[in-house]
Amino acid sequence: MREVIAAPLPGLDLRRHYGHFQSPAIRAGGLIFCSGMIPVDPYSGERRHGTLTSEAHVIFGNLKLLLEAAGSSLDRLVQVHALIYDSIEYDVLNRVYRQYVANGPPARTVWTAQIEAGFKVQLDAIAAA
Amino acid sequence: MSQPRKVVAVPGPGAKGSTAPHASPAVRGGAFVFVSGLTAVDPATGQAVRDTTARETQRILENLKLILEGAGSSLDSVVKVNVLLHSMLEAPNMNEVYAHFFPEPPPARTVCGARLPDGVKVMIECTALAS
Repeated sequence: MREVIAAPLPGLDLRRHYGHFQSPAIRAGGLIFCSGMIPVDPYSGERRHGTLTSEAHVIFGNLKLLLEAAGSSLDRLVQVHALIYDSIEYDVLNRVYRQYVANGPPARTVWTAQIEAGFKVQLDAIAAA
Repeated sequence: MSQPRKVVAVPGPGAKGSTAPHASPAVRGGAFVFVSGLTAVDPATGQAVRDTTARETQRILENLKLILEGAGSSLDSVVKVNVLLHSMLEAPNMNEVYAHFFPEPPPARTVCGARLPDGVKVMIECTALAS
């Protein structure tokens, strides 16, 4: 069965704010599949452009909210895809990243990609339900 | 493993076009069907289709439907989609066509811009529930 996880706060509904035809997350087969997380204000949906570090902090905050609304948590992450705008920021990503996955980090792949709206980072996550 | 992986047979000659011979179009494992990154091909001939982002998206999703149904799944059972575009400026063109194929509420999704091979404008991969 496929179960939709609604946005826990209005700002996290990217479909409503930006027209993306996607649900915030789907629970299926014991896993939670999150849509690509971007740094938006969780209340207003406004874009929070900044440094890669500041953007990653906003994203992890939002991911935590979304996973907890789905009955999961950052500690239950299974796999993360971290998209960054430039590989030169790899060490910068790692510094902020490890603060959020201190207890046995999930499987991860990092690569460089063009991210919507000129953001510097986007996280794509799967967690245990 | 109690439930080994199973390569899913492709319904027509064409749908195989964009992944053969290096990948299976779809593989069933556990509760899921994992579909390879698909690019636009003519399902009858397997020939690559190079067109606008909107038309490539249309073709890919039509083929995805065939592949999923061949695997005993469907577009309604998709849980996560990853869309790779040659340029993020094309995201609205993809999004408009995309919305016609998926149910309400839609699956989770990530869209990003990437360098794609052979002039491809769109590549779409997904994970679906097997039944």
